[in-house]
Amino acid sequence: MAQKAFEFPEELYYDKNHHMWVRKDNSATIVVGIDAIGLDNLGDLAYITLRPEGTVVKKGETVGTLEAAKMTGDVFAPVSGRIIAVNNACVENPGLVNSDAYGKGWLLTMEAVNWEEESSQLVHGDDLEPWIAAEIQRLENQGFDA
Amino acid sequence: MIWRYIHDDHVDAAFGLAADEYMASAVGRGISEPVLRLYTYADYAALVGRFQDVENEIQLAACRENGVRVNRRPTGGGAIFMGHGQLGVALCVPGRQEDTYGRARELMARFSEGIIRGLNRLGVQARFRRKNDIEVEGRKIAGLGIYRDNSGGLLFHSSILLDMDIPMMLRVLQTPFEKLSDKAIHTVDQRITTIRRETGRESDMEQVRQAICAGYREVFKSGLEESDFTHAEREAIAQLKKEKYESESWIFQKPAVKDAVGAARIKTPAGLLEARVTLAGTQIKALYILGDFFVSEKALADVEGHFRWHGSAPEQIDATLHLLYEKHGGALASLPADALRRAIRTALDRARIISKKAADEPYGCFVTPGGNVHV
Repeated sequence: MAQKAFEFPEELYYDKNHHMWVRKDNSATIVVGIDAIGLDNLGDLAYITLRPEGTVVKKGETVGTLEAAKMTGDVFAPVSGRIIAVNNACVENPGLVNSDAYGKGWLLTMEAVNWEEESSQLVHGDDLEPWIAAEIQRLENQGFDA
Repeated sequence: MIWRYIHDDHVDAAFGLAADEYMASAVGRGISEPVLRLYTYADYAALVGRFQDVENEIQLAACRENGVRVNRRPTGGGAIFMGHGQLGVALCVPGRQEDTYGRARELMARFSEGIIRGLNRLGVQARFRRKNDIEVEGRKIAGLGIYRDNSGGLLFHSSILLDMDIPMMLRVLQTPFEKLSDKAIHTVDQRITTIRRETGRESDMEQVRQAICAGYREVFKSGLEESDFTHAEREAIAQLKKEKYESESWIFQKPAVKDAVGAARIKTPAGLLEARVTLAGTQIKALYILGDFFVSEKALADVEGHFRWHGSAPEQIDATLHLLYEKHGGALASLPADALRRAIRTALDRARIISKKAADEPYGCFVTPGGNVHV
């Protein structure tokens, strides 16, 4: 079986428990979305809801709900903080998340309140390549066409 | 590991769903062992998927006339009709440490394997169909769905058809058919199958339960111990039932993305062809192909199955049709691929117009974000 390719931009941080990505620049604001392996497994999204701006959540708490081809469930906060903005374009057209996961498919922006400590639990930098390789190997073993 | 095996019959729709969600949460929080629950609903229940619009999916007047209870599942997918002839399966397993979204495919295939092996034991040649169905030679015999509770518990839902009262189902669910006719009944009868039809025997529900239990024991290497809800569990289920599954705000909530239905009729040399699509955002949720041409019903059911949860971009449609016509060859010979392609695309264009109109005139309320009620 040919190895499937997944895009994982190097500058991002990844929540390995929930396959969420985080973009962090110099400010306290982060951008959050679902990563390529998470989306490949969930399948096409049909519905997504996101909690309103101003909502305060802890890492791992729900920031919304989704229905994809494979399952329904919650969208999880990769770190603790306050929701600053939600991407209503994705709420109205969840297909954007599948078609442009790291661009127009972002879900929300947050003010991270404990970034120094919590970011150490996200996958980033030198840890990224071995983690992706292990994930792809696991998926190869599962079979993509299950 | 020993799992709890709970079986109950003729349950009220709100109780059935509240019990499944509560037990998934209890298992996720580690206060219950994993649970396999095999149960039937009281005649009858019409249950929509997590984000569906009840008014789009259910004929509410017919439900009132026939005493059919209407409710909303925590799991996704389409509306289902449940009663004494359909077995509800709820498998509640822990998922707290699971990388659930990275394993959704694996979970769906693995959870459904217990049902497939159980059906095989009854002599039904069932297999997993890509995405979320179990089929027998192209005909659906069970639907599947997974819900992840925010405690980490996983709820795998399935409805298995021992038998089906198709005329009643057509009265209750919104379908592409304009009226209840022999032709409509025949068309549905060709798309689904039941354990009784496949085995040619009058199997009863207890035999089905025993076979499914054996299937799960085999797949998960788990023992099953007869169990029932504890007093504390019944109290918690009653509370969830009251707060959520008896609440109009849960049952009649409106999704942000409203499904749009589009249809197109095309004359072909072989007869009239009608395609009806249900579009959610950019995803085709369902395709129905109707008409007076003669092709293999199994091949047609397979075509419809492949377009469930399918992208709506023209190149995606063309690629899938190409594969299907290669696969089925002569079985679809009298239904020209070009005509079917045109009918699907036109139906999609019409659905998009309806979808855009709905977006321009939005509902007054949206799904409550994170709207799961937990006790």
